[in-house]
Amino acid sequence: MTHRNAPAVTASGVPANPFSTRHTRPGMLPPLDAAGVPIDPGRLLARLRPGGMAIEGPHGHGKSTLLHALLTEAAGAGRPTACVRVGSRGWVQRALSAIGLARPGAVVGIDGWERLPVAIARVLIMTATCRRATIVATTHGPTRMPVLMRCETSPEVLAALVALLPAHGGRIGAADIEEAFQLHGGNVREALYDLYDRFERRNRSLPVEAALPGLAPGRQSQERPERFLVRLPGP
Amino acid sequence: MVRLPRFFGKKRGHRRTGSQAWASLGDGAFHALLVMAGLVFGGLLLSGLAVPEWRINHHFTPTTCRILGKGLLRRTSTEPAGGPTSTWQPCLLVRYEADGRSVESWSQPSRTTLTADRAEAIDGLSAWRLGDDVPCWYDPANVGIVVLERGYNWWMWLLALLLPGALLAFGGSGLMRAIRRWGRSEERSAVLSRFTDMLDPLASGPPRADDHPGVPMCDNLVNSPGTFLAYRLPIESPESWTLIGFGLFALLWNSVLTVLAIGAGLDVMGGRTDWLLIALLVPFAIVGLAGIAVFVRSLVLATAIGTTQVEIAAQPLRPGRSYELLLAHGGSGTLESLEMSLELEEQATFRQGTDTRIEKLIVWRKPIQSWRDLNLAPGTRFEARATVSIPDLAMHSFASEHNAVRWSLVVKGVPVRWPPFVRSFPLVVYPAEAAG
Amino acid sequence: MSFVAEAARSTPRVIVQFCRADRRYDPLDTLEVHYQVDGLEDEAVRAVERTVLWYTEGKGEEDLGVHFFERIADRQRLPPEAPTERFTTRLPPSPLSYEGVIVKIRWCVRVRFFFGGGRDFVSEHEFVVGRIPPARIPVAPA
Repeated sequence: MTHRNAPAVTASGVPANPFSTRHTRPGMLPPLDAAGVPIDPGRLLARLRPGGMAIEGPHGHGKSTLLHALLTEAAGAGRPTACVRVGSRGWVQRALSAIGLARPGAVVGIDGWERLPVAIARVLIMTATCRRATIVATTHGPTRMPVLMRCETSPEVLAALVALLPAHGGRIGAADIEEAFQLHGGNVREALYDLYDRFERRNRSLPVEAALPGLAPGRQSQERPERFLVRLPGP
Repeated sequence: MVRLPRFFGKKRGHRRTGSQAWASLGDGAFHALLVMAGLVFGGLLLSGLAVPEWRINHHFTPTTCRILGKGLLRRTSTEPAGGPTSTWQPCLLVRYEADGRSVESWSQPSRTTLTADRAEAIDGLSAWRLGDDVPCWYDPANVGIVVLERGYNWWMWLLALLLPGALLAFGGSGLMRAIRRWGRSEERSAVLSRFTDMLDPLASGPPRADDHPGVPMCDNLVNSPGTFLAYRLPIESPESWTLIGFGLFALLWNSVLTVLAIGAGLDVMGGRTDWLLIALLVPFAIVGLAGIAVFVRSLVLATAIGTTQVEIAAQPLRPGRSYELLLAHGGSGTLESLEMSLELEEQATFRQGTDTRIEKLIVWRKPIQSWRDLNLAPGTRFEARATVSIPDLAMHSFASEHNAVRWSLVVKGVPVRWPPFVRSFPLVVYPAEAAG
Repeated sequence: MSFVAEAARSTPRVIVQFCRADRRYDPLDTLEVHYQVDGLEDEAVRAVERTVLWYTEGKGEEDLGVHFFERIADRQRLPPEAPTERFTTRLPPSPLSYEGVIVKIRWCVRVRFFFGGGRDFVSEHEFVVGRIPPARIPVAPA
């Protein structure tokens, strides 16, 4: 059971990190507008038209989260849905079959629209239009498709998301949230990773033992104490 | 009332339950289409190719015929872009006895004799002489059909069945995968089996050590014997990959540049000057030369710094034990410092939207030994022995599809007048041997 | 025996008992689990799946590995006819539970109920395999 004030404790006795991806990945948090108010996917659903529509926004601004919520709402309303992430294994056949087999009113989400070859993108939109289905695609910038929603973030959004996550037991304060948001230029995903690191550091940090290595005879080497936390971001 | 599967399950209990039913349906439908296409193509090809050959080799009646005449079978087709084209096949007019009567008929030519060259087809007739008695086989269902050669054309079968075979294999495996996933829970889908591995080997994650789930195999670490100790460890060096990358880029870029330059040169020699192409070649050439320069510099750096080798007395390693090491470093020049340490690193991969995020974190490091002011002479190498101890309660090596816990021996060197280098040698640590 | 009761925001409610009070096991130990479900009311259970698995958590995508899996569709062994069940398995030598910084490995028991309407409910209960201490992030001394 999770108490509101204290973080959940794992079986090994260590507080569970509420910023783990299992709590923050698309589908686990509701989409919020720039004021931190939940977006009603039903209103967006009513605006869908056959063909393609775009959810625009920079990296980490909640596009995938909104897409996920929209598809859930569509499924709940009885409309056929499917979601394809461009670049995932087997995405080509899933995209083609999802749209090729779509019934009228179907909603097909495509995450990562810009990675589609232009020709395939046009074929998908034409097919969706003919089948009276809707493609909802996430994009980082303007496309030829009408815009369904532009995703924006703010410190209030991040604070609201943190409040929705499992309890952190006071390890994360308002200053941390503001700092993480500013540090990552509004990228909420990166800000959440930052808060993850802060939570871990506050749970675990201990001074390193100043153990010097055994040295080869004849030479002395002073081991300079250094910060061991080395994060190597990938490509 | 028939209920269709829901696309997304609502939250129940304290865990979201997602339905993959529709995902499987779309996937399965696509692969079913491929299977059907493969069956249709395969059926058409078999009925047009394989079945006739089979009948010739098994059902035709053998007899002897006399060659009465020679001829060419011509097939003409009209190409959309050009005029009509003809293909030729040599055939023979023969007389033979079938069902108690004499039959005269033109033989069915073999598929291998089909050619667009009329002279070649005529040459094919030279092997036969008029008036000769030769063996032949006729169709008992239609005595007018006769062949003078039998056998199987395996290459034709292979080529003809390649496309439908690929469609069936790809579609069939995808369909089986979709069927297995249909309406299954996350846990049930994750139950590994040999069948699952065959259908989708990439989804089963990195190769695992036998009897130790989640622990990576160490086959790659024990296939190189050391000169003094049991094993020589492979190196994971970012500078090696950088060198290879620079080399490939320089090679490819300059290959393209050369082709373009030759084309432009031939044009100029032929009296045509393509100024646009020549103008484009200038920045291309600058990039090409820069690529070569960067590659050469990296190569000089790599060779000047010298190679590092590490040998170890045993693999895999176990917590609570110590192992002998040998560090060897070649090259020339002076190393201000050289140090070896044992590191434990965590690695996490996350894909979201168009982003793939790989994060690595060293969570534990222990220096093993270090040296200063090493003077390396060409033709010799620095060697030193050391001992590495794996802590009693050390976490074992772990690897799954998106996460890893990795042990390494790391050698860091600071040469005089050259940039520092870091070379990493992976290790595999098994869990401590369990009692009982 | 330890009782791990799941507080239900809605039905059903699953109570899981591990054979060890602290839910700590060593590799190759025998894990014995008893579970009891109530609060199903009139909802018909079509099948139950019992799983012992490990999963990763942290900053990467979740991976999971199933060690023990059993699906029961026999009505005689499903609630309400059989509200209590047990299962046993011998734990593997790896992977061990690990509280890393960006990668964590957790072991758990999952009991998943499938209902006639196509919905399902899963209850998850964590336990520990091995005695690996949590990883630390070394920091520079002051």
